[in-house]
Amino acid sequence: MKWLFFLGVFVSLHSQNKQLLYGFKEVPQQLLLNPGGQVDYRGYIGVPILSHIHFNAGITGFSAFDIFADDGRDFNQKLREVAYSMDSKDFVGFNQQLDIFSAGFSVNTSLEDKLFISFGMYQESDIFTYFPKDYAILANEGNYNNLNRRFDFGQLSVSAEVLSVFHIGVNKKINSKWTLGIRGKIYSSIAQLSSTKNQGSFITVPTANNNLNHIFDLDMKLQTSGISFLREPDVNDELEVLKKRLLFGGNLGVGIDLGFTHQPAPEWTIDASLQDIGFINYSKDVKNFILDKYLEYDGVQSVFPQVTSGQTAQDYWDEVSSDFEELVEIDSTTTSYTKWRPIKLNSSVSYNFGRKINKECNCLDKLDPTFQNRVGAHLFAMKRPNHLQWALSLFYFRKFYKNLQIKTTYTVDAFSFTNVGLGMSAALGPVQFYIMADNLLEYQNLAKSQSVSLQLGFNYIFKNNEN
Amino acid sequence: MKTQSFFIKYISLLFVLGTCFSCIKDTDFEQYDTLIIYPIVEANLVNAQEPAASFVDSSGAELPSISDQVIFDVFNSDFSVDNLIKAELVFGITNSINKAFQIKMDFYDSADALQHTFSIDIDNSPTNTLLFTEHIEVFENMNLLALKSTLKLEITITMISNPTSVILTPDSEGSILLVSKGVFYLKISS
Repeated sequence: MKWLFFLGVFVSLHSQNKQLLYGFKEVPQQLLLNPGGQVDYRGYIGVPILSHIHFNAGITGFSAFDIFADDGRDFNQKLREVAYSMDSKDFVGFNQQLDIFSAGFSVNTSLEDKLFISFGMYQESDIFTYFPKDYAILANEGNYNNLNRRFDFGQLSVSAEVLSVFHIGVNKKINSKWTLGIRGKIYSSIAQLSSTKNQGSFITVPTANNNLNHIFDLDMKLQTSGISFLREPDVNDELEVLKKRLLFGGNLGVGIDLGFTHQPAPEWTIDASLQDIGFINYSKDVKNFILDKYLEYDGVQSVFPQVTSGQTAQDYWDEVSSDFEELVEIDSTTTSYTKWRPIKLNSSVSYNFGRKINKECNCLDKLDPTFQNRVGAHLFAMKRPNHLQWALSLFYFRKFYKNLQIKTTYTVDAFSFTNVGLGMSAALGPVQFYIMADNLLEYQNLAKSQSVSLQLGFNYIFKNNEN
Repeated sequence: MKTQSFFIKYISLLFVLGTCFSCIKDTDFEQYDTLIIYPIVEANLVNAQEPAASFVDSSGAELPSISDQVIFDVFNSDFSVDNLIKAELVFGITNSINKAFQIKMDFYDSADALQHTFSIDIDNSPTNTLLFTEHIEVFENMNLLALKSTLKLEITITMISNPTSVILTPDSEGSILLVSKGVFYLKISS
């Protein structure tokens, strides 16, 4: 339970928005966000394990500081205040990605035509849960002061998954205005659980003569796959299972990413992509838990068997307790199921300016002839079980010289209105290092932050021949 | 150019240091250990409704008392023993029989030893109107320990001679309705 708390409060994340990486064309990993992004190098090899480390956590409604501040106030009082100030649309999310390997190269299909092929494999974890406010209120207060209040059990919506993804993408610059791309993906789910389609309620209704009627109406479902290995007694056996599943031994699925970049004029860039249009079919190691029950309870009836004949109170109590036992009895099945991947949309419009032009023709000039500055707006949206998660960013991109680029963003989303991010890519010869983090204003005290996002990595870049 | 490269180095250094040395201040994550909640749960217990005729046997003679035993294995469950800090049993009796009663509640443990007892006096209803009597029995401290060892509840309804000296017959009017619920104050800590 403690780790859950930490997950919820501290590691808590900020969706899967990578507003700093998106459109950062010097960094090859941007092709994972938009397979139709612009590529101006011959190839790259990501440093294994280190080419893309991404970590993203966010919460809405409160920050860790609200609860854990060392201010001498009663912890439970603070917790109560936070729980009451949140609602069931608030959520906690965590996302992590790790590139295992990645590489890309350009292929000449004819003298003029070139394709850029990129491929790789990454591991991803994603946890997402809404705040089940009614559960928290019921646990904290009980039903005593809440007669006639309907506690909504449908507020429980949680999903978690660890998977590996093998991908291969094709990127083609059609002409000076259009670049298109597509990426195919094979998902191998290592472990998954989700409980997102719950319904039901609990209500206590006062009736005549000081009586109460307790109504339990439950329609809950938890789907899991791949979690039985946790019961393996031997850690080595667990690792074996994990290794196998990482390499296509898990529940498999397929998906595609689509994207384009359009430059109607050299100064203007419009691009967009859809990621993870795909699904996973869960059929191996599946266990589903179903609770679909209805019970009304208004007390043990009819005592005094001498005068009512037939059923005794004792029988009746047995009946009530078996009703309750049945109420919480969970059915389980191993029926396979299919889940769509959380689809993501990225799109941006930007304006390029500040081209360096030498007034005199000089063949030995090494000045970079491309635009040095770019400003734009970026939209991110992602499908979550009960809502569309979104973020809107304004960004400024600046090339300091060929080997150093910096991008800064200001993002507005469900987490905050004060999210400033900074990303940088620096190259020493062919070795590139990039690091990007947002919510920088909160870094002086991360506990006050409602979201944290960090990406970093190393690549070996094969640049275009300059002559 | 020199100024630019100094500027770049400065920014890069600041950025890397900023990322590495961001910190969490003025917080105490150990506070989690003291998580406590105090829910109050209300639930119905035993209900009964007996017409006047129930107090008359097959030969037409009045029964001096009727009683029943109910086994409740909730009070002595591990959950109650660990988390229950106070309980109130609320009894509401509506009498429309022209007869006074005494309702006695006896709480027995698993060895059938009496742990707790109390009685509720009910007035007669001379004109068969509904007379409501409420009794709240509070369980705290020693009483609470008695409740937590209770397995069996015996309810006895005894007729009391009333000033009007009415004798009940199978045709007597009215009924006695007993509704009971428990209010359980819990303290659950992590």
